[in-house]
Amino acid sequence: MSVASDSSPVHSSSSDDLAAFLETELDSDSDSDSSSESFPIEAAEVAVVDVSSNHRLKRQKLEHPEDETENVASVTFSEEISEASSSKSPCEHPGTFGNMCFVCGQKVEVTGVSFGYIHKGFKLQQDEVTRLRDIDMKALQSQRKLCLVLDLDHTLLNTTVLRDLRPEEEYLKSHTHSLQDVSGGDIFMLEFMHMMTKLRPFVHSFLKEASKMFVLYIYTMGDRPYARQMAKLLDPKGEYFGERIISRDDGTVKHQKSLDVVLGQEKAVLILDDTENAWPGHRDNLIVIERYHFFASSCKQFDHRFQSLSQLKSDESEPEGVLSAVLKVLKQTHSLFFQDGGEDLSSRDVRSLLKQVRKEILEGCKVVFSRVFPTKTQAEDHPLWRVAEGLGATCATEVDASVTHVVAMDVGTEKVRWAIREKKFVVHRGWIDAANYLWKKQPEEKFGLEQLKKQGADDLTVEK
Amino acid sequence: MFFHMVLERNMQLHPRSFGLNLRENLVSKLIKDVEGSCSGRHGFVVAITGIESVGKGLVPDGTSSSALVTFPVKYQCLLFRPFRGEILEAFVTLVNRMGFFAEAGPVQIFVSKLLIPDSMEFQAGDMPNYTTSDGSVKIQKECEVRLKIIGTRVDATEIFCVGTINDDFLAVINDPALAA
Repeated sequence: MSVASDSSPVHSSSSDDLAAFLETELDSDSDSDSSSESFPIEAAEVAVVDVSSNHRLKRQKLEHPEDETENVASVTFSEEISEASSSKSPCEHPGTFGNMCFVCGQKVEVTGVSFGYIHKGFKLQQDEVTRLRDIDMKALQSQRKLCLVLDLDHTLLNTTVLRDLRPEEEYLKSHTHSLQDVSGGDIFMLEFMHMMTKLRPFVHSFLKEASKMFVLYIYTMGDRPYARQMAKLLDPKGEYFGERIISRDDGTVKHQKSLDVVLGQEKAVLILDDTENAWPGHRDNLIVIERYHFFASSCKQFDHRFQSLSQLKSDESEPEGVLSAVLKVLKQTHSLFFQDGGEDLSSRDVRSLLKQVRKEILEGCKVVFSRVFPTKTQAEDHPLWRVAEGLGATCATEVDASVTHVVAMDVGTEKVRWAIREKKFVVHRGWIDAANYLWKKQPEEKFGLEQLKKQGADDLTVEK
Repeated sequence: MFFHMVLERNMQLHPRSFGLNLRENLVSKLIKDVEGSCSGRHGFVVAITGIESVGKGLVPDGTSSSALVTFPVKYQCLLFRPFRGEILEAFVTLVNRMGFFAEAGPVQIFVSKLLIPDSMEFQAGDMPNYTTSDGSVKIQKECEVRLKIIGTRVDATEIFCVGTINDDFLAVINDPALAA
């Protein structure tokens, strides 16, 4: 029965019925004689609070019965109480819980951002969100922490549906850890969800170290039960994430992630995700991480032809893996933010600091591209050019003495021959991509053009 | 507040359940449908305490393969309905910077920070809580509080309420830490 759909004229007749019904029930019931004395007075007080507050708002049908049961004896009550409540300033309705303002209790138009992950039916107005973000910023500064939003799939773990398991992966079923005690385990069978999950190597240490520097959030495109279950595997004690588990059911725009449901200021939030396109409005806060393909179904999902880690019966290395590299970057950015410099912390922006850290990677390199870009396009607009510049390299279209690297896809070009003559480095584009993902300049020998012929042009298999 | 009332409902029954156990089937279907449901008018149905009467079954006009017979049933039930202005005892389930969430049976109540006395401040940490400056009163997860309802809203299965503790005689009833 929807309360909101009732209109005022209908109120009085049906609520009369209920009021009369309640009265007869209470009178006829012999035990309630003592309670029936207190009931009218209580009801009158309640009625008075209603009467003194806004008449014009559509009131719930619930409130009317109290009106009718008002007694003569309570008139003096009503005057006192109405004076008290009219002296309050009008309520700003900072937010709603189930379409009632949580300060004054009135039914209000539901606007604002929905924070379903905190509690069902909880919404906050934009002003209130801004105010909370400011308070949060101060609290974080005193604790010397920033915010880190983490993606789940292909970033911290890899999940497969049981039915997609290939025959050569069946051996994994006997290697799964118990769900009773998840600490120390990394591969779990979730029969009730028909899934198997493998946590990325180094993830436990990563979370432990990151939680000292950051307040951690999970933001996944999975649904809420999936998100909660994964959080239990990653964080059994609930000490890293707490209630900060955002799933696709909590996002405001479908198929997109945004920081609008994160209660941290944008200039203090970093995001770790494998998909750049998921965060259209927050590219500067994003650290893109290499996808973790443990299961064969995961490789298939992205049309990759190479074998997954489970098929190769191997895994990423812990100390030199991707998460460990990202942790170093996070530590570096964190220390830059809280460095004792001249300016105060409120003017520091983690996005510009991240750019700064990134520019150190290929600092001092001058790169020329050969046959990498289609001839008709402007070379400067090509994404690879932009990535290289973001990594701190200077890019040029023509060779000269200051050039250090030539990036090519083919051995026979003039620029490549020049580079070999002048003893400059010749690498394929994977060298730049690797630097981008691993946040470190890679040895050029591993990205020579002979390697290119061996691996195949499509794969981005980064040497570890 | 609890109410014990007689309500009426039209139960639809498929002829396959006719026979010796007709009344039992009717009653169990009623219980399954009604117990645990909510309505704006009556509140939350806690339990059905008895059947007062079962009227004559009505067969619908015309014949169709999915004909269901309608029985009007009068039953006694226990109802729970929070009212605006009512004082309730509730159990705290979540504490955060914006306030705390508590529940009293099927009712979910939110008390915003703005309606918590200024003398209590939020402390973050492992067990986030609201404490007075001298540490004598602490509101944290799993403690009981007495609060006043300032607004209620009912949907099909749940009742949402907004409450306050910014009044005399409200707030913590017993502190599990102190009691231990």
